[in-house]
Amino acid sequence: MEPTIDTSAERDSKPSSGLTLIDALLQQQGVSQRVSDSLLAIRAAITDDPDGDRPFLTVLLRTQGRRLEPIKDALLCLAAQTDQDFEVVIIDHDSTPDGAAGVRAVVDSQPPSFRDRVRIVEVRGGTRSRPLNAGIAVANGRFISVFDDDDLLFADWVERFHQASEQGGTRLLRAQTATQRARPEQWVGDIAGYRALSWPRAEYAKTFDQIDHLRVNHSPFMSWAFPRGLFTELGLSFDEVLDVCEDWDMILRSSLLVGVEDVPALTSIYRRWDGAASSYTVHSSDIWQKSEKRVIDRLDDSVIVLPQGSVSHIRELLAMYERRGELEQLELVLGSRSYRLGLPLRVAQNRWIRVRGTFLHHRNRIVASIRSR
Amino acid sequence: MTRSLTVQSILYGNEPEAIVRAAEATANSARIARADGTIGQWTLAIGDCSPEPVFAADARSEIEAAVTAAGGAFRYEHFGENLGHGGGHNRLAPLTESDLILILNPDAQVGPDTIGRLAETVTGTVALADGRQLPLEHPKDYDPKTGDESWASGACSMTLRSVFEAVGGFDHDTFFMYCDDVDYSWRVRLAGHRVVFAPSARVFHDKRLTADADIIPTSAEIYYSAEAAVFLAHKYSRDDIVTTILRSFRAGGDEVYVRVVKAYEERLAAGTLPTPLDPTGSVAQFVNGNYAVHRY
Repeated sequence: MEPTIDTSAERDSKPSSGLTLIDALLQQQGVSQRVSDSLLAIRAAITDDPDGDRPFLTVLLRTQGRRLEPIKDALLCLAAQTDQDFEVVIIDHDSTPDGAAGVRAVVDSQPPSFRDRVRIVEVRGGTRSRPLNAGIAVANGRFISVFDDDDLLFADWVERFHQASEQGGTRLLRAQTATQRARPEQWVGDIAGYRALSWPRAEYAKTFDQIDHLRVNHSPFMSWAFPRGLFTELGLSFDEVLDVCEDWDMILRSSLLVGVEDVPALTSIYRRWDGAASSYTVHSSDIWQKSEKRVIDRLDDSVIVLPQGSVSHIRELLAMYERRGELEQLELVLGSRSYRLGLPLRVAQNRWIRVRGTFLHHRNRIVASIRSR
Repeated sequence: MTRSLTVQSILYGNEPEAIVRAAEATANSARIARADGTIGQWTLAIGDCSPEPVFAADARSEIEAAVTAAGGAFRYEHFGENLGHGGGHNRLAPLTESDLILILNPDAQVGPDTIGRLAETVTGTVALADGRQLPLEHPKDYDPKTGDESWASGACSMTLRSVFEAVGGFDHDTFFMYCDDVDYSWRVRLAGHRVVFAPSARVFHDKRLTADADIIPTSAEIYYSAEAAVFLAHKYSRDDIVTTILRSFRAGGDEVYVRVVKAYEERLAAGTLPTPLDPTGSVAQFVNGNYAVHRY
């Protein structure tokens, strides 16, 4: 007998990758009753929504209490959201006593209806992952986002996530983020301030590409809203061994598990600091490489579920690299002494140009098709 | 002696919820500035240019409660006609007698220390100061040591009432929607005062970007900014720029710009264009279509 799948609670939302896999297994001819029952139980655990009265979003805001002006910007961006169905957990990570007092004073100064939804958690020691896990432990939201204290939000950041969650179900939500250069500056009154140096630039991929994200992270942290169930039901946590790349690691592991719903709006600005400390300047390239290796090694050690359409995508990529290999071989031949002695140079150059033109045309076509996903 | 303040906002068909949230932020900021002794008595004055009042009575009482709790007074005036940005502020200003006036967009949300920072800045030779807008910081340049700048944005700027009255407030006969703040700033500077940027006074101004990080202006924004560009150049004695703009508008043939040319020509014929100022260009800046040097 074919198992019955009750999808009434899922409305019209899209299933996660894990759910798609479970449903595919349940539809398999000859699946045993024992396996079927177990799969249905897992399915229910993933899809049941016991969180109806929770706020939509918990915003985890990491700070080290070193720069109070950026955190004032960050809190104003949150207070001005058009959708106020969220709470804020500020995770004060290793602040000095003065820094911690400064953060508390900034929070105390907020308008009452906003201040009442802001909590501070103090965390000592550990890597950048530790405050995130501490924040998740106290988060009440149905989704969880991470917004660091030196970035900016547009007024519809929460609203757009909220709207997308109606379609996205238990998938990750990914919006678009612009980048903007800024540099520290001393403001009148001896205040440690900064100035923007560029108009925001939309440099990240507009839509999520799972395969390309395995290569590099195209999505700053605040682009994301993670469904609560990832942490409470599926047991994910941020890897506290990682010094950096903790965001990329979580994005990859969770997107491979539950899939991604794109949010078609640019809702945040990631500041790139000139002449100021950031994770890029504080940590050495060696640490970045080690962290990246650990992220990939963990994925290599695990079984992953790729989203639908990935097989064709991978075949296109492999075809592209095959063509590139042919081209490189040809370039080697063209560059060899024996070949140059054997044929008139102009003939060879013409051929190379024709082949390279064909390659570039092919590559551009594929890249365009990948980007349009 | 602490100075009194009126926060002025002009409505036209806004969302009441956003106005209530902005008013709560204003009240909170004023409460902190009062506690610091930076300001004394304060009033939130809202002028409504919408055909029908934006607020139902309950939303109005919600704002009044927040303002009263912060030690302020609340005034709401339904003008029943669209006076424009500057016209609305000019109509509101005589209704109170405060030392300072904060011109604030109705949907702009100030930070907790914004009113205090601006009030600290508007002192001595400084008669006008604007805050730093989030999430899109205005690109006009400023002196990092003194804050001096070409003009202050009307989205959130504080001015001395005495100077506001002395220079005649906003020129709403000439500028309906745009550049009334540029013009006001330049007249303040022509009167010998300084206009400065106060970056620590933050204000959230709800602007959005497209997926390509562009802004798509409405047709009204395009028209009124183009009209303001011509009138501003005329008012600050830059006939060369007026000629260039009008020539390009005529050549472009776009209906919106042709309307601008027509509006200018009608005013010229009727003799209602403003009297040109600043013939030596001592304050007015026309730089690549902007009214200040831009950082980016």
